[in-house]
Amino acid sequence: MSILKKSGVAADQTLSSKGLSAGSVGLVGAVVIGISCIAPAYTLTGALGPTIAQVGTHLPAIFLVGFIPMLLVAFGYRELNSAMPDSGTSFTWGVRAFGPWVGWMAGWGLVVATIVVLSNLAGIAVDFFYLLLGQVFSDPSIADLAADPLINVVTCLAFMAGATVISYRDMQTTQKVQYWLVGFQLLVLVGFAIVAFVKVGAGSAFDATAVSPDWFNPLTVPTFSAFAAGLSLSIFIFWGWDVTLTMSEETSGSRTTPGRAATLTVVIIVLVYLLVSLASMTFAGLGTDGVGLGNPDIQGNAFSALAGPVLGPLAILMSLAVLSSSAASLQSTFVSPARTLLAMGHYGALSPKFARVSPRFFTPGYATLASAIVASAFYAVMRFISEDVLWDTITTLGMMICFYYGLTAFACVWYFRHQWRSGARNLFFQIVAPGVGGLILAVLFVTTLVDSMDPDYGSGSQIGGVGLVFLLGVTILLGGVVVMLVNARLRPAFFRGEGLRAGVAGDEREGQAALPE
Amino acid sequence: MRRVVVGYLDTPAGHDALALGTALAHTLGVGLDLVMVLHDRGRASLVPAAPSYERHLDDLAEGWLQEAAAGLPTEVASTTHVVRAETFAEGLVRAATELRADAVVIGAGKEGALGRLHLGSVGGVLVHSAPVPLAVAPGGFAERGVRRFGRVTAAVGTRAGARAVVDTAVATASSAGAALRLVSLVPLDAVGDGHRRDRDDRERALHDEARQHAERMRDIALEGVPDDLDVTVEIAPGPRVGDAIDALAWRDDELALVGSSRLAQPHRLFLGSVAAKFVRGVPVPLVVVPRDHDARTTWTGAAPDGAHPEGTTP
Repeated sequence: MSILKKSGVAADQTLSSKGLSAGSVGLVGAVVIGISCIAPAYTLTGALGPTIAQVGTHLPAIFLVGFIPMLLVAFGYRELNSAMPDSGTSFTWGVRAFGPWVGWMAGWGLVVATIVVLSNLAGIAVDFFYLLLGQVFSDPSIADLAADPLINVVTCLAFMAGATVISYRDMQTTQKVQYWLVGFQLLVLVGFAIVAFVKVGAGSAFDATAVSPDWFNPLTVPTFSAFAAGLSLSIFIFWGWDVTLTMSEETSGSRTTPGRAATLTVVIIVLVYLLVSLASMTFAGLGTDGVGLGNPDIQGNAFSALAGPVLGPLAILMSLAVLSSSAASLQSTFVSPARTLLAMGHYGALSPKFARVSPRFFTPGYATLASAIVASAFYAVMRFISEDVLWDTITTLGMMICFYYGLTAFACVWYFRHQWRSGARNLFFQIVAPGVGGLILAVLFVTTLVDSMDPDYGSGSQIGGVGLVFLLGVTILLGGVVVMLVNARLRPAFFRGEGLRAGVAGDEREGQAALPE
Repeated sequence: MRRVVVGYLDTPAGHDALALGTALAHTLGVGLDLVMVLHDRGRASLVPAAPSYERHLDDLAEGWLQEAAAGLPTEVASTTHVVRAETFAEGLVRAATELRADAVVIGAGKEGALGRLHLGSVGGVLVHSAPVPLAVAPGGFAERGVRRFGRVTAAVGTRAGARAVVDTAVATASSAGAALRLVSLVPLDAVGDGHRRDRDDRERALHDEARQHAERMRDIALEGVPDDLDVTVEIAPGPRVGDAIDALAWRDDELALVGSSRLAQPHRLFLGSVAAKFVRGVPVPLVVVPRDHDARTTWTGAAPDGAHPEGTTP
């Protein structure tokens, strides 16, 4: 495509570049973006139930431990990002480390993981949308509309279409609105926790359960399978945090801002997670009836069941918090598969159509539409074949994140393999940290994959005696292999390593993997 | 040399703007500054900024601009600029200020009813904030193949700002060697209802006023124009501005001028209600002139068609 080539004609330099840095992201701004990407209200309502189903009362321990592999891999992510800043992220780095085939699959993993989360996000938003309407009109029967598959799918597609338009047209909320949204979200979560504790103290809780030190001990999780499944879910709850580490080029002020922003973000997030999960567990217990967190009927969307009993008439605030959190996350998540697909199209790993940038809105238009269509179709199909679509998508998502994050971590180790002699800092951040993180994720991925063959795994959705999550995971990955082989026939140049190819840190091709050169 | 900023996008509206800029260049000998506005990197965004994607956009934008510049006729001088700003309108205003441009050219975007002008969101903002005249190409202008303008029409009301429009139109027409048409826009819809007898009287009075106004305008115009300039004066008939505009005959190679409202801050455009109706009804490119605009600063210092002493053709 001619538009991609670097033009030889220099532009007039009469325009000053003032304004470029005027609104640079500061410390607070970076924290707000980080929290907004993680979307704690949405994440908690989606992940609380499935994680409890795996590890029971050890939820707080798993939430704490789940941060470790995330942190280790994020270090590698940051190193790769500063060596090869490229929109293709995992795809580009995978190719540069391991060559076109593995890189292609890493890109595929990223794209499908984000597409799965898009469908889950929209699904959660649908539940809370009808819950909110029910609360506004004081008519609980409206909230039940979300259970009707047809209404549910149609509403979800409408939400998805809205999010697509916003992404395609690159419509942004102002910074003030973002601050309010994030502040509101945190306030509601903390308020929810406080009210729950007060009710436990007053004896009006659903099933008051005393906090025990054992909840914080990851070693007493009964089986390794449960531990692994819980961990892969809790990686999902920190997913998105890594953006605060890679915003380095955008943050204003000193070099330490990104690091401080990332630390501050994760401290806030961990505190909120612990507070809310402890509050939910002490208030509702882990029983299998009513709003007990062990009840499979509410595990796909915990707050939708808990908000009423805890907050009473103020439950509407929780609906608003989760809805706004999902909306913000929908918007920031849409960008990720679109930019990776753009890079894949650009380097010839996919049809060049994916490299198209809308000349009016300057967004990867074709890739955005493609992601939206696939995510919508995925949700619609899942809603009809799965007994518990939200739960199953979250579990599948955990597995996919382990897959592509693991590959990315190994890509970091392999790409920087000659760097270990150049000092302890490089040895730790480029090799040891991502290496250990990658190993943990690989173990989690394999364990989850094997365990999920069991039809009773997770929500218990199954087809022909095989767990649905396993079928989904395998279908998605094998589907990726098929699509890759088709593309290898159609576009052999990329797979022969012409253009983007494998190498190591410091080689002459280092600068090559930076769009658009 | 005189120059105008063309707000360019590789879209139909952008191509219309480019075509209008080219026609102005042929008519008045102005140079073109092709400006593409990308969003500010540091803007508030829920989406984490990706520096690599932003660099990719910079290069794409530069490529689109070069392509556009390369497609211009060789005698049209041009430069290209990528600007980062919160909004398209803000970027164009800043570019016009920094480049000391004499006008900003944009495309109206999606076609209004029957090929008439309709200001898109960008035009809507610009028309209320630009410090220089704003030229708007109607949708589909690029396909009309207008190479240069043969007639300049100024629509003039009685309020403050009329003088700036007449002067600018005279300067434009004489610089272009084009015919000049002055249209009196005395709001005949002010007649209102009331007693029949009363209305007839008031209508007659208004028509008289319009004629006098038109004649005054012509006298003003004739003071400042060369003898060989073809000047006509028309009173737009019809009870409402919309009808009046519909009744006017338009040539293909016509350029329309209208003044901005007295509500505007000094040196800023603001479209008054009459002018806004005019904008919606006009089928040809339209220039909105700030009320305190000094005609001597409008693209008239240019050499006649074809000669570009400092031309920097790509």
